[in-house]
Amino acid sequence: MPDNKLKNLIATLKVDLESAKVINDTEKIWRRYFGDSGEIKLCMKEIKNLSVEGKKIKAPIMKSLYDEALGLFRAKENLLKHNLDKRALESGSEELNYDSPKIGHLHPITKTIREMNQLFVSLGFSIMDGPEIEEDEYCFQRLNVPMDHPARDMQDTIYIKEPNYLLRTQTSSIEARTLANYKPPFKIVSPGRVYRNENVNKSNHFIFHQYQAVVVLDKVSLKDMFGVFNLLLKKMYGRDVIVRYRNKYYPEVEPGAGVDLRCFNCGGAGCPVCKGVGWIEIGGSGIIHPKVMKVAGIDTKKWRGFAFGLGLDRMVMAKYNITDIRTLLGGNLGYKYYENESLI
Amino acid sequence: MGEALSLSGFMMDSFTEVKFKNLPDYLIGFEVRQNRADCLSLYGLAREAAAFYGLKVKLPKTKKIGAVGEKLDIKVDAGKVVKRITAIKLSGLKNAESPVWLKEFVAFQGINSINLLVDLSNYVMFLTGYPSHLIDLHKVNGTISWSLNHDFSEVTTLMGTTVALKKDNELIIRDQKNIIALSLVGSKSAEIDMTTDSVIAEVAVYDHAVIRKNSRSLSIVTEASHRLEKVLDPNGCLAALELLASLILEYAGGRAESGLYDYYPKKYVSPVIEFIPGSPSQFSGIEIPDKTALKIFKDLEFKIISPRLIGPGPKKSGRKILVTPPTYRQDLELPEDLVEEAIRIYGYDKIPADRAPGLPVTPEITPKNIILAEKIRDILTATGFDEILSWPLTGKDDNGLTNYSAWRTIAAQNSINDLFPNLRQSIASGLLIQLDEYFKKNLKFIDIFEIGRVFGEKDGKYLEHESLGILTAAKEKALPKFKNNLENLLRLIGFNDLKYFEAKIKPAIAHPNSVWEIYADGKAIGIIYKLAPRENKLESYFAEIDLNLITSLLKGRENNPVVELTQKLIYLDANIELEKNQSVYEYLNGLEKKIDKKNLWALTVADIYPLENKTRYTIRVAYKELTDQEAKKIHLSVFNL
Repeated sequence: MPDNKLKNLIATLKVDLESAKVINDTEKIWRRYFGDSGEIKLCMKEIKNLSVEGKKIKAPIMKSLYDEALGLFRAKENLLKHNLDKRALESGSEELNYDSPKIGHLHPITKTIREMNQLFVSLGFSIMDGPEIEEDEYCFQRLNVPMDHPARDMQDTIYIKEPNYLLRTQTSSIEARTLANYKPPFKIVSPGRVYRNENVNKSNHFIFHQYQAVVVLDKVSLKDMFGVFNLLLKKMYGRDVIVRYRNKYYPEVEPGAGVDLRCFNCGGAGCPVCKGVGWIEIGGSGIIHPKVMKVAGIDTKKWRGFAFGLGLDRMVMAKYNITDIRTLLGGNLGYKYYENESLI
Repeated sequence: MGEALSLSGFMMDSFTEVKFKNLPDYLIGFEVRQNRADCLSLYGLAREAAAFYGLKVKLPKTKKIGAVGEKLDIKVDAGKVVKRITAIKLSGLKNAESPVWLKEFVAFQGINSINLLVDLSNYVMFLTGYPSHLIDLHKVNGTISWSLNHDFSEVTTLMGTTVALKKDNELIIRDQKNIIALSLVGSKSAEIDMTTDSVIAEVAVYDHAVIRKNSRSLSIVTEASHRLEKVLDPNGCLAALELLASLILEYAGGRAESGLYDYYPKKYVSPVIEFIPGSPSQFSGIEIPDKTALKIFKDLEFKIISPRLIGPGPKKSGRKILVTPPTYRQDLELPEDLVEEAIRIYGYDKIPADRAPGLPVTPEITPKNIILAEKIRDILTATGFDEILSWPLTGKDDNGLTNYSAWRTIAAQNSINDLFPNLRQSIASGLLIQLDEYFKKNLKFIDIFEIGRVFGEKDGKYLEHESLGILTAAKEKALPKFKNNLENLLRLIGFNDLKYFEAKIKPAIAHPNSVWEIYADGKAIGIIYKLAPRENKLESYFAEIDLNLITSLLKGRENNPVVELTQKLIYLDANIELEKNQSVYEYLNGLEKKIDKKNLWALTVADIYPLENKTRYTIRVAYKELTDQEAKKIHLSVFNL
């Protein structure tokens, strides 16, 4: 009887499945029992040879046996497939490495300039630069410092070709060029490198960096300028910084203002750091001199401007605990391979 | 007082407890800026303090010098540069050691006491701001003259140093034979000593620019030059001379032998300056009433010519307030100068500094090269490169080693030292110094870059541009990785068409067979090379890009790398053979033109195989939006297969 035959086939199927170790073994078993010429498949085809009565009785039994056989096969097949996946997963797995990638760093001067730029760009300022080989006209004359003006002594100049070509001594030369080349209104900041003929030692360098702001609008005042400068100083030195503005002569501004911070070392009581006076000078500022505006062709009845500037190097040194100014432009500046400052 | 003067323009820069005349006292140092020569004196600072506190200054009384007496034998040849000379002859003097108070006083100024006469001369300078000369008449031969024309080759100064002179260059005071003094320092030949009993005392003011030039060319900086090279009021000479004469006669005895010699060809008169009502308020941003401003002017001893304007009234319009400062205020000439005077005495501390203004919107004018440089910094640091900054001044030989451009070295005329006279022509010079330092310090990863200026002279013009230098050093060969880092950067900022050709000018530090010019959009934008072997035995590579040039190339460019892909890409290869001297880049250029842009995804060199006299390249073309058959058809046609 075909059902008995099917039972026997299931018994041999069980033996074969038991011996299958890898998924590929199941293909052979499938062909032997369930393929087009497979023994179980052929056995099932015998149902059609039974009498009507035989079909009624045997067909459900045969179908049930077939399902049992197929279930046995699928169970084994799934088991071997799972084993295959597991082995594949095991063979493709990886371990984390323990050497970190070296990261890149911006120079502390760049970082500081960016911090300041961020503030000013948020206030709608543009960023400007100018030539480092500058003409006397833009470095001095247009800034109300004619030839042989005593104020030239403030800045010992490195000349390329005296008297007309020099290395810029101040970022105010960018101010002079902007005033000459752009029509107001404008608001700009100009970070830049400047040069003065000074001996290089731990505290002084012939190259240093300045940060300057220039605003020309229909009306501005010292109060506006102090307000903007204070924003910058609070950003760079913290909200509790104490700032003093006092009158100071600079040829390119009128009225001019010197800017001091309360001595961070003594809190104003007086100490060697502040030479006993309680304040440390950090910058200069003022309302742009009418002569500077006029030489640039700007109508002083319509426009008024302010400008301020400060040195960056000492600020950077204090922030990054650098004790020798030469480190900023020399070979001693190193970066930790795997560390960076917090970006927020 | 230190705080008060600091706010009004004279920063207190030192504060020391001292003893003076046997009593505890304070020595306060103030910074006096270049525009206030009148305040390089105690009198000047006293006037400032008086104005600040609304007080009157009381100066010491002096004897007036009359016109009666011997006429001094003085001649002025340098009339163009001498603004005023006042002089008097004093005789029967008894020079001596200075009294203790005078010694203490000059010591506070950092000056050694010499003798009574010299110390009194210095004392008067510190009090009034006017330098003076005392000329020992026993050491003078004949007429004393002020002259710019001379043929002396040197002079020995009072300090004992001999300085070289240039013919007709310095303003000198001379007799018939010798230099008695330079304008800014006395000469040893007419030095005052303890035997001096007869002097000519003179106080003079010159064209400050000439004194400044003399001081710079002779490298002589004295308390006198410090004052004379600024704009001093000639009107103050006489008061200073009278004070000096009075003190000499009081402390050294003697008598005035001559009448006053006074050379004063053009009397200085103060300008009349318009005061714009309301201007102190407009400039300060706070309310400073005009009446307050005028009160300040009076405290500063200004003359106000039409003060009735102040206050409400029908006659206000059309009338001006005119102000005349005292002649010692040589720094004032414009209405804005008056504004500053009013605000500085009113008090900068009264202007609030915590009100951030709402500044109006203005046009964005940031040049594109600044924006580009920032992006490049970000890309390079994200790739693992560290930014360094180096000296733009380089050693004598550095440019000869690193330059690859057709321009000449620019040298500074007065560089800080002889070792670094030249402006760099390539960023390489600074990066190589950093490389050597990092190697010495045993740093493992050396991937560094700098963005800075390079300079050169061409056709008589000084040129400079912003330049990017990148340097990598490794233990093993790393040119492909280095080139890919560079190309990654250039492609990220918007360049698609990049090519490399053997460089025409090869820097001396480069390996001669490994130097290429970098081309973008058909223009040479920089250089990439392997460094010739160095002491450190590292494999080092350098590249430099002209940032100003690439900014101009990228300006206005509209790349669109975003593509809508509806079909798989089809990659097809073809072998070609080129002569050794033929450029594969040019071949690819030609090929690119033959394939419709809308069907070309990428064109690459998949393989290179050297033949006897030629090179075989396997060119791989990736086609897009085509069927296999369509791509194959185009491929066969393009390669003539």
